[in-house]
Amino acid sequence: MSSTTAAIEAHGLGKRYGHRWALADCTLTIPTGHVAGLVGPNGAGKTTLISLATGMLAPTTGTVEVLGGAPADGPDQLARVGYVAQNTPTYAALSVADHLRLGAHMNPRWDGDSARDRLSRLNIPLDAAVGTLSGGQRAQVALALTLAKRPKVLLLDEPVAALDPLARRHFLGTLADAVAEGGLTVVLSSHLVADLERVCDHLILLASSRVQLCGDIDALLAEHRVLVGPRKDTTAIERDHTVVQTERTARQTTMLVRLNGPVADPDWEAADVGLEDMVLAYMGADAAPAIAELTAVGGQR
Amino acid sequence: MTWVIWRQYRATAAIAGAILAAFAVLLLITGLQDAARWHAALASCAKDGTCGNLAQTVSLGSGLLTALTTLTLAVPLLFGMFWGSPAVARERETGTVQFAWTQSVTRWRWLSAKTGWLLLAGAVFGGAVAGIVTWWYAPLNALHQHQFTPVYFDIQGIVPIGYAVFAMALGIAAGTLIGRSLAALAVTGGVFLAIRLVVTYWVRVHYMPAVTTIYSVTQNLPSKGAYWPLVQGVVLPGGQLSTSLTVGPGYIMGPLPIPASCPAGQDQPISSTLACMARLGYRSFATYQPGYRFWPFQFIETGIFVALAAALIAVTFLVVRRRDA
Repeated sequence: MSSTTAAIEAHGLGKRYGHRWALADCTLTIPTGHVAGLVGPNGAGKTTLISLATGMLAPTTGTVEVLGGAPADGPDQLARVGYVAQNTPTYAALSVADHLRLGAHMNPRWDGDSARDRLSRLNIPLDAAVGTLSGGQRAQVALALTLAKRPKVLLLDEPVAALDPLARRHFLGTLADAVAEGGLTVVLSSHLVADLERVCDHLILLASSRVQLCGDIDALLAEHRVLVGPRKDTTAIERDHTVVQTERTARQTTMLVRLNGPVADPDWEAADVGLEDMVLAYMGADAAPAIAELTAVGGQR
Repeated sequence: MTWVIWRQYRATAAIAGAILAAFAVLLLITGLQDAARWHAALASCAKDGTCGNLAQTVSLGSGLLTALTTLTLAVPLLFGMFWGSPAVARERETGTVQFAWTQSVTRWRWLSAKTGWLLLAGAVFGGAVAGIVTWWYAPLNALHQHQFTPVYFDIQGIVPIGYAVFAMALGIAAGTLIGRSLAALAVTGGVFLAIRLVVTYWVRVHYMPAVTTIYSVTQNLPSKGAYWPLVQGVVLPGGQLSTSLTVGPGYIMGPLPIPASCPAGQDQPISSTLACMARLGYRSFATYQPGYRFWPFQFIETGIFVALAAALIAVTFLVVRRRDA
């Protein structure tokens, strides 16, 4: 493994259930040392991508490597990857201290002291059965357990989705502290873009089981502009740039474009775009807004 | 991993241990009483020479205790349904498999530890129950010589260990394949009962070719020890076999009428009727498994169930290795 090895590298990665592709033709690279946000509507394949990277799922097509190794391929590979699954599953009847002991017995580089410190700072009682804790506390326990493994890559699947805003802030705070200690690459999936904006510097956007965007957030934002202009023919723009989304009213046209150079036509007024608007534009381009709304209300995937 | 398994199962293991201890104490007390009664009966019958019909004069055990020991037939099933089937299925249902399989322990090792300890627990608990029951049955076996017949055979010796290991493996495999512990529990129960019934009543008898003997109607089957009777009847004077009549010293049973020329009735001693039948050419026949085959049969049957368990565990490993969590 060289120092240039990517944290996660996928080539043509796909997973099919019956006739439905949960993830298709996914090629991406996440460099080490970043906090990458994985966004997309429900059912876009976020959980599938993370599960493939942990080795919980086997791919139908393509490959994925984490730090240059096949997922879950032996104890060393497992030790380097931390994972907090959706709904942060834990053994409800066991106490927090039991979970820490469980982790100590199942991991060679276990750092139980820091986990205990972290949890006591959050006033989470170690002798309480995990089933009696609140969702926010349970998520903190799951994160502390995973950090105690001292992983090199941390994969978090919607860990904050079920938490109230304060618990969410605490959780992301704990995560940011762990990242600040260095040497950690994080992939965090969420459909809450505002949360990602707080901690992430890298973005992967999945929609319709495919990767729509992948890269450094600042660089991506620099490449995108909102163009506002009169209602007129847009073929010139479409030829020179990639139009993500177009909205037309009676008098004007608003477009989100990915630029391939300066916009020559002075009729168009270019403005910076925010992360949330950019993400929503890509999701909206993928499906009519009303349908996107419906999928968001539908079941978890 | 040992600690992990112990932490998950210590509460139920303690309950099982407590039940086992209570059962052992009960059988120890009543078993010692039975043994004392048996030895006293032997000593007194030796004095007046009536040891031939001890089975009629001595009563050992009790209906309740016999029922209780017979219920140990279900012990392997309990292991399979309540320890085996949730072993993997419960972790999948609650999602904790996502935790367990992403620690620095491969699935293969996790499953090895879990199945290894559970199978060992099944063998140890099943063996303990069987050991106590076998010891308790010693006086009754000596008196009734019935340990080779079904049900008595199934709760003594080493076969209960084979059943316990098989039930545990069946539970684990069903839980892994089905993924839902309640459904796996039901399937484990059904499949275990079906296989046990088929083996007991159709397969076991073929482990070794049965022996057929023809002997005088005035005698008992000339086979020593606790044989397993399969077919009994008479050879008619013409040479045909009939199972509609079985006779022996002191009894004539069956719908087939005894020959008219032989005296029979309330006032006639059975021995004279039998002597008359012997003169007419009637003989007894019996097909049976001789008593000295008890242990060979125990080993064969245990081997079959351990082999089935091994196949189920192999399937479990393949499924866990390949299947998505």
